[in-house]
Parts: sequence; structure tokens; C-alpha cells
Amino acid sequence: MRERTFYILLAAVVALGVTVTAALAAYTAYEYENCSIITYIATELW
Amino acid sequence: MKKSAAIAVLFLVAAIFLSLNVSIYALFTRRAVDEMTVEERKNAISLEDYLPFADGTRAVTVKSSLRFSDGDRLPVLDGASALYPIYASVAASVYPEGSVTFENGAFADGSAVQFRNTLRAYRAVADGDADIVFCAAPSKEQREYAASVGAELELIPIGREGFVFIVNENNPVNGLTAEQLRGIYTGKYKNWSELGGPDRMIDPKTRLAGSGSQTVMEHFMNGEPMITGRAFGFLGVSIGYSFRFYVEAVPREHTVKMLAVDGVSPTAENIKNGKYPLVTEFYAVCRKDNEDENVRRLLDWLLSDEGQELIEAVGYARIK
Repeated sequence: MRERTFYILLAAVVALGVTVTAALAAYTAYEYENCSIITYIATELW
Repeated sequence: MKKSAAIAVLFLVAAIFLSLNVSIYALFTRRAVDEMTVEERKNAISLEDYLPFADGTRAVTVKSSLRFSDGDRLPVLDGASALYPIYASVAASVYPEGSVTFENGAFADGSAVQFRNTLRAYRAVADGDADIVFCAAPSKEQREYAASVGAELELIPIGREGFVFIVNENNPVNGLTAEQLRGIYTGKYKNWSELGGPDRMIDPKTRLAGSGSQTVMEHFMNGEPMITGRAFGFLGVSIGYSFRFYVEAVPREHTVKMLAVDGVSPTAENIKNGKYPLVTEFYAVCRKDNEDENVRRLLDWLLSDEGQELIEAVGYARIK
């Protein structure tokens, strides 16, 4: 694989990863602000 | 660069992001997303469930000697979500059919019942947008807001409710003393093992400032400063607080349990007979200068045998 192609693909994977992570974080923050305390405690990992 | 090595690096980077996102979901997102099924939602407090005059409504109606008619000026009712079943039932018992209009998941302008929740209901009564709001005691900020718009609030205690602390149903701790509960929220206790529980960090959850439960909690703390979370608390085992009715009215597949306080469980009976130590009054609140005759008639009715019967029939403890 040509080095330029590799870096373009790497940049694309990183950009996609950062975008998905940021979206998930934003969605989580929104849900956290609006979720009920009961839901939060009831779904705790044990 | 060798093609196989390049592909391996790309897969590795993708796998790192995938792992990161799965971890975020498992630790944070999953807990915040409401997992109620449609069936469970039917049993939760929802505006539709207690809609006055609707078919199959859970709003309670009692025999009432006070009955407003279409021509009367109807006091606008509003308040906390946990107390919505009460003021919906008041409307169902006292107001004429057609006085409550509900469209697209919300009460319409002009409806005699509105729903703004505690944070905005206090503002609404101070501003004159609601005549009577049903809430726990106002926070300092809510009192200050009322004063800033020239409103003096009149708080009429109409019922009592248990303020409860909740933990996951799998938590082996079943009860704590009031001092231990305060100790959790001042940061004195950091691990459940100090309180007879598992060797896991305590994650004390607080509520939005100005909400009814947060205002009651601040009162419970007797002025001691509360911690507002703990670093990596999400890895620990949480504790929170709410009102008994609200907890019990929301049955779910995975649920929470209410802790006994000073050895007394927050059952309806223990709240009614005063054995449970954390019983708080809730109020019908209006502007002191609201001289509308029907507002005064309704407030008197709430304290009458009929009004108190309604409070009890909904599931709360009467004040008289």
C-alpha cells in the first residue's frame, strides 16, 4: 500500500472514530441530564 | 509499507475506537437511557395516565360538595410531577368536563391544568400564570424570585409524604441511620463497606437545584455542605433520593429499593402514623394577594374532609 493512501485511510478511520465518540458522548450527556434517578440507580452494574 | 501491516494498523485503530465507545455505552449511556418497556410506561406517572375526564384515567374522583361550572373562573393548577396525580384528581373531582385540554402530549393554552414541574411552577405562580401550584417547599432561589417580582407566596400544607433514599435492588444494605445518610452526602463515608455493604465506592447522586427533592435534601442536611459527585463515581454503587409515591408509582423490571431510616421502613403506614422519620409536608401554593374567590374556595376544600379524602385516595398521607 502506498504511504499516502495509508495515511488518508488512517485519517478517515480516526475522523470517523472521533465523530462517533463525540456523538455518543453528547447523547449520553443529554440523556444523563434528562434521565430519572430511578433509572440511573436501577440499571447499575452488579 | 506492507499492505498487511497497513491493514493491521487500520484495524487496530478502529478496534480502539470501538472498545472506547462500547465502554462509554456500558458505563454511562446505558444507565442514563430509560429502559422502560411500553407496558412499564403504562404504569409510570405520565400526564396521559392521570388525565382528568379521560377514559380509563387513573385520576381519582371523590364526592365533592364543591363543583365549579363552565361559567366560573377556574383556578389554573400546576405543580411537581410527583404531585400531578393529586392536582389532576382535584380537577377531575371539582372542575367541569372540558376545562382540561391536552394536545400533542402537553396541556393546551387555556387548560385549567398545566404541567411545568417544580422548577417552573414556582415561577408560574409568582408571575400569575398559575393560581395554585402543588409542590414541596420552595427553595431559597424560588422564594427570592417570587420576592423579585413582588409576590409573597402563601404555602398551605395539604398532605404529607415520605422522603426516601434509594439504592439498587441488589445492594445488600437495607437501612441506614439519618446520621449515616448525612455522612454519605458530606463525604465522610466513601465506601459501602463502612456501612455494612460491599467493598465498593459510594456514588452519591444529587438532584437538580430547585427541584422539590433537592430542596428537601438541603433541609435534611441541616446546612452541612453536600458533595456533588465523586471522581469515577460511576464505577461505584449509587444512592439517591426521591419521594415514596414517585418511586412506587414507577414499577420496572429492574428497580430500586427504599432504605429504612433509623430502623423504620418508608411504608405508607409508617408515613401515615409518623413513625418514619423523614416525612415532609407538601403544599398548595398561591400568591398571598390572589383574592380570586374560587382560589380561596378550592384551598378551603383541599383542607376539608372531602379534599383530605382525595389526598389519601391518591396515595399520600393526609395532613389532617
